[in-house]
Amino acid sequence: MIFIREKVIKRLRVFSFICGVFFCILFARVIYMQLIHGNYYLSQSDENRLRQTKIFAARGMIYDSKGRELVNNYPGYAIALQRRKSYSDDLLERLSRVVGLSVEMIKARIQQNKDSYEPIILRTHITPQMLTKFEEERKNLSNVLLMVYPERKYIYNNFGVHTIGYVGEVSEYEIENKLYNDVTVGSIVGKSGLEKYYDKVLRGVDGYTLEEVDVTGSVVRNYDNVRPEPGKSLHLTIDYEMQKKLENFTKRHLENLRRTKKAPNAYAAAVVALDPRSGAIRALLSVPDYNPNFFVEGMTEKQWNTINTDPNLPQLNRVIAGEYPPGSTFKIVTGSAAFEQKKVTLDELIYDGGFHPLVPTMRNAGGEVLGWLNFIRGLAMSDNVYFYELANRVGIDIISKYARIYGFGKLTGIDLPDESKGLVASKEVKRKIWNEGWRLGDTFNAAIGQGFNLSTPLQLAVMLSSVANGGIHYQPYLVENITNPDGTVFQIPKRTEAKHIDVSQTTLNYMQQGMSATTREGGTAAYFRTLPKPIAGKTGTAENSHGRDHGLFVAYGPVDNPELCVVAIVEQGGYGSVSAGPIVYHIFEEYFRERGWLPKHKSLKA
Amino acid sequence: MSIKEIVQKIDWLLVIAVFALVFFGLMLIYSATYNYAQTAQSWHMQRQIVFFIIGVALTGCSLAFDYRGLKQYMTYIYGVNVLMLLVVMFFGHSQLGAQRWLQISSFSFQPSEFSKLFMIVCLAAFMEHRIEWLEDFADYIKVFGFIFIPFILVLRQPDLGTSLCLIAILLGMIFISGFRYEWMIKVVISLLALAPAIWNFVLQDYQKSRIMVFLNPEIDPFGSGYHVIQSKIAIGSGSWFGKGWLAGTQSQLNFLPENHTDFIFAVAGEEFGFIGVSVILFLYAIIIWRGIRIALKAEDNFGVLLAVGITSMFMFHILVNIGMTIGIMPVTGVPLPFLSYGVSSLLTNIMGVALLLNISARNVKLKF
Repeated sequence: MIFIREKVIKRLRVFSFICGVFFCILFARVIYMQLIHGNYYLSQSDENRLRQTKIFAARGMIYDSKGRELVNNYPGYAIALQRRKSYSDDLLERLSRVVGLSVEMIKARIQQNKDSYEPIILRTHITPQMLTKFEEERKNLSNVLLMVYPERKYIYNNFGVHTIGYVGEVSEYEIENKLYNDVTVGSIVGKSGLEKYYDKVLRGVDGYTLEEVDVTGSVVRNYDNVRPEPGKSLHLTIDYEMQKKLENFTKRHLENLRRTKKAPNAYAAAVVALDPRSGAIRALLSVPDYNPNFFVEGMTEKQWNTINTDPNLPQLNRVIAGEYPPGSTFKIVTGSAAFEQKKVTLDELIYDGGFHPLVPTMRNAGGEVLGWLNFIRGLAMSDNVYFYELANRVGIDIISKYARIYGFGKLTGIDLPDESKGLVASKEVKRKIWNEGWRLGDTFNAAIGQGFNLSTPLQLAVMLSSVANGGIHYQPYLVENITNPDGTVFQIPKRTEAKHIDVSQTTLNYMQQGMSATTREGGTAAYFRTLPKPIAGKTGTAENSHGRDHGLFVAYGPVDNPELCVVAIVEQGGYGSVSAGPIVYHIFEEYFRERGWLPKHKSLKA
Repeated sequence: MSIKEIVQKIDWLLVIAVFALVFFGLMLIYSATYNYAQTAQSWHMQRQIVFFIIGVALTGCSLAFDYRGLKQYMTYIYGVNVLMLLVVMFFGHSQLGAQRWLQISSFSFQPSEFSKLFMIVCLAAFMEHRIEWLEDFADYIKVFGFIFIPFILVLRQPDLGTSLCLIAILLGMIFISGFRYEWMIKVVISLLALAPAIWNFVLQDYQKSRIMVFLNPEIDPFGSGYHVIQSKIAIGSGSWFGKGWLAGTQSQLNFLPENHTDFIFAVAGEEFGFIGVSVILFLYAIIIWRGIRIALKAEDNFGVLLAVGITSMFMFHILVNIGMTIGIMPVTGVPLPFLSYGVSSLLTNIMGVALLLNISARNVKLKF
């Protein structure tokens, strides 16, 4: 024995100790991983093996008043990426070639989706060319999915775009600011129009499948399926035929105005027709328009530019968000105020010497001098001096009050997003804007709808409908009812109750008489006489500091039992009777034809 | 010595622990290869059983011979070892980037596995023979020189795992022989000084990358880091009781690579949970404990050195393999004794146990 036993034993003891330490380290680490962080690793292993695939809910359809499909869905393809901790560069480069997005853009998409467990949609609206490329590369594209989803289709393209709106992918900003409920990156939401306003009901609830996959991504078994719940459908108050005819006519009419140099810059117009018996909108048009399908399909740069750099703002819904001076159509407010305050009688004659003696610089349009006038003739001839005198008698505060009674200066409450309030001229407004005191001239200006007054065409239509229906205020609306996918009614959208406005029947009757006179012989829009039923109307000219004045025309008819109120405005159209009047005339012509009061295929006016 | 005497004296606890581990290993190999090709589902398991039986038979036979007889063949064993490694170098075929395999008819062998055992025997004999001058540091230089050639041959295959194992064996044996602590400190310091040279000139690129990935597996989640990430997920997700035999999703859905060989511990961790892992660690602890006990009771210095060498080998494999699967050791391709599929490894480990049993059968009663 050469080793000293004790020494060997000592060393073996140290050796045992070291081995013991090794075992303790292994044991401690296993405890840490399995017992302390077991759930974390379990979720990681689930993430490996479980693949959740979203099944998109089809958005609800949109139908016109007669049940014609205006918006539907058809199967579109999207290329998506399974959620993984990271992706190889090779995969990203191949993907980039297939979907035509740069690797950086794909990485940005992945980054945006880092908190989601669902596949990351890289590109929707996959073209047949992309599909071919995808099939060629499929073997090298593990974790890449081809998904079928319902793609929004606006069947008639530009038709009614300002009413219907369009959908698009929810933006990061919109998610952060919680502008939509229950959305994740990649959710398709309504971005404007009814699509936005009724987004919640239209969208439906997405479903999903949960599958177990192996390392190559092949499905091993199916765990769970949750069927998507399709969105509800909207039934509009608008009739396709009437709206389509209006669109065609208006565009043609604007072209004519430009060509004949009657209004060389008449590129934009807004028209709204509603039923004074309910507030239902029958037609809503804003020109120029755009094709909402571009937003769904992804736009070319050229398409993007046409929509976004056009100085005439095609995306603006002029009917609800275009603010114009109401012009002479506002004389109804001034007249109402004067009669309600008993500052004038129907038979009282007021002298128009071409100007008002208190503010001699303010004259009639075109320098006319009409002499002695009663109210009916004053309104029919749209005499400014007559209304200066009424304004002089009641004062601005009362005029403002009646403007508000008729609905100016506040939202009409139509079921569309982004409506404007307009502005009612008052002393406060002037002080706020210019920090100046009020003058009599301001009152005169306000009385004829110029100056500080601003209103949307829809506000004019609401005022007009109260005049036409004898003082009832209805909230204008576009959606008659909302139906389930099986056709049963899901809901009738809530509307504020109809209420009487604080204007007497007598006063309203005077307004009706004045407007009826407008379209009779000697009025400013006498050509309406050719229609088979009498129409009451009012022309207007909205002062425009940036070019020619805007032409306005408001009308309702038939006079004895009004069924339709129409407001039309042609930007830079000049006189309302020339620019906006014919559009209104056309609507009534078509409406009467529809009602059977006119033969089907005969035009009254070229 | 009579057979009866041997049967009475050998360490039956060690035998039971090894059998238990091999049995556990067969279950794990079956599970790990369960969904390979459906036609040959249990091929790996069957082969492992066959070589286990061969190993047991060889053990039985070897017990009849006194381990001390090996001393006289030291030179031949050393020669055969070096020759075998040279043959691999020139005629072997490579797999996974390393030339480690030797094909004899339809069997592939990994000579570097056997090399470990051969070197333990040779080192024990070499050191015992010259034990009288293992007093100076200079004497140990000769021991280092003795192991240098086989070490370099294994390293150049390249088989970093086995060459590191050789170092572990050497460390264990010189430690028991009384290598002084102050020398250890000096050696460690000089190795640290040499580290940059080793990094630049000795290590292969793939070995360097493995070390880099070990330090941060996320730098290469698809390459060598992938193994460790998936292995950790498998083990961690096993939690207390595991997902059940044949029901580990990481393993059955092939997220876990090499699951029947180097990463078999991850299969155990996933399917049998903390309970299964504890049983395995407990069985290994028994093996190490019995190895040390056998060294303690060995009749001669050769027996002590041999037992310590074999125990060191096991300890190295356990620490490095399990450490790798739980992410505290770099990926080195070291199999887990008795559990991993691999006949060279299995035979080597069984023969190691056979030697331990041989020593235990011939030990002396401690006299104090």
